[in-house]
Amino acid sequence: MVNHTPPTGLRNSLIIAKFELHKLFLQTRGIVALIAFGLVWGLILLYPVQSASGILLQPQFKEMIDRLFGPNTLNELFDWPVAELAVFWCVALYLFPIFSIFIAADQFASDKSRGTFRFICLRASRDSLFFGRFLGQMLIQSLLILLTVLATIILAASRDPNLLLTAGNTGLGVAINLIIVIMPYTAGMAILSLYASTARQATIYATILWTLVSIGIMLLDSQLPYVGALRWVLPGSQLDAMINTQGLASFSYAPIPLLQTAVILLLGRVYLQRSAL
Amino acid sequence: MMLVNCTGLSQFYGNKLALDNVDFNLGAGAPIALVGPNGAGKTTLFSLMCGYLTPSKGEILILGEKPGSAQLLGRVSALPQDAKLDPNLSILSQLTLLAQLQGMKPNAARQEALRVLTLVDLTEVAGQKPPSLSHGMSKRVSIAQALMGSPELVLLDEPTSGLDPANAKKVRELVLSLSGEITFIISSHNLDELEKLCDQVLYLDQGRLTQSVSLQSRNQAQFDYLTLTMQSCDADSLTKELSARTGVIAVTSKSSNEFVIQYDPALTSALEPTLFSLFEQQGWQYKMLLKGRTLEDTLFS
Repeated sequence: MVNHTPPTGLRNSLIIAKFELHKLFLQTRGIVALIAFGLVWGLILLYPVQSASGILLQPQFKEMIDRLFGPNTLNELFDWPVAELAVFWCVALYLFPIFSIFIAADQFASDKSRGTFRFICLRASRDSLFFGRFLGQMLIQSLLILLTVLATIILAASRDPNLLLTAGNTGLGVAINLIIVIMPYTAGMAILSLYASTARQATIYATILWTLVSIGIMLLDSQLPYVGALRWVLPGSQLDAMINTQGLASFSYAPIPLLQTAVILLLGRVYLQRSAL
Repeated sequence: MMLVNCTGLSQFYGNKLALDNVDFNLGAGAPIALVGPNGAGKTTLFSLMCGYLTPSKGEILILGEKPGSAQLLGRVSALPQDAKLDPNLSILSQLTLLAQLQGMKPNAARQEALRVLTLVDLTEVAGQKPPSLSHGMSKRVSIAQALMGSPELVLLDEPTSGLDPANAKKVRELVLSLSGEITFIISSHNLDELEKLCDQVLYLDQGRLTQSVSLQSRNQAQFDYLTLTMQSCDADSLTKELSARTGVIAVTSKSSNEFVIQYDPALTSALEPTLFSLFEQQGWQYKMLLKGRTLEDTLFS
């Protein structure tokens, strides 16, 4: 028999989060997923980002965009110090939330339906499990975001080595902003994967929920404009506005996803506490 | 402090009542058996004790704490029915994680995982993934995880179902060898097995606790029993001869060659020699003579 001191909730959350990373990097399935992710982003960076950043640097293109969408709609995009990061920002702002829905879809579903949580919950509290898994998923996605930002910086530096320092600074801001953006998606998937019995089911629920809530908010907005503020309830509601921001200005939208994450996590915690395992 | 206190415990699944106002107290000590027919509520009771479910009514306390509370983490362990490990990860990595969650450092956790796998003779599969194991091996791995660290209470739901006789025996021996340090509560349909392991028996039927039998107190009852299995005999003559002996109260035949003899020990101090003389006179061969009744006879008589 081995004597031990009972671990704290925070320590167990960190152990669970670390194990999520271990699952990704030391498991064939995880490595295959990483390779697939790398290939997709490799293609995005090599073709759309590289070629679009070249176009972005041409003054005629800015004039055309101004004429098409109005002078202040996408003007910030042309002010980015590194064109590659500007294009990356436009793509990543929409792609990472979609990736998040897929990556975080199996936070709980398989383990819950398989009964694996029964082994864990005799050693760790449900709170440790819930927040540990969420933290683990956030670490994985943060790492993926950092890798793609790093690849974009390298792409920009390969065009002009003098951009390296500026790209590094701007890239850091972009990465932090993207991490904040995906937080409510990951938290939302935590609840949906607790309810669903498979990752696929959780993804389907997410698609249905996001679509229905978007339509519902759109209808409410058109019929009852004074409840238009409801749109801020939906994760990603700030994305359209964020496109035309850069640098510190992008952080002005951060309270929305942070608040959404806090509320969703609180709901998820209550749901797991009341769930039968 | 009592190990388990159950007061007015009820559990509903929708409209279905799975446990109905169950009351019992259990102390630490020899293994305790939980028996009952399928659907009697055994697994529900286990799930409540482990904190997997919240009671619909009543209260349950384990070591003075509500199941699932932080104070019980690592002190209560279980072999849950139908729970499986992650099929994509090695057994060793998963057991190491569980040990770490119990407060052990990574290296100590790994050693602990290997120690419990040694207890169930499965060190050679440590690096394998769960799908490569047979049902029996998976069951033994699940038993191994229940023994990690220093649990005070271990709940085993059907620990030997699906195991071959040799491994079932090993599991029974393991439980007996650890029963000085750990109190086991074992749910099983194998009454012979429970009789070998347990002192106290809780019998659940249709969600109600209908009997709570102590095998020790059973031996202190007013009447004693002998269970006799014959190889060859004339059942009617044997019943007649036995019934005529002093102190014998009743002889009941369970099957053509199995008899339960109820007698008053105050009237006959030693019935066994009388029986052997009778067998010799009649030329009957006996197969087994058991002091007392089997658990099956006790529960279903």
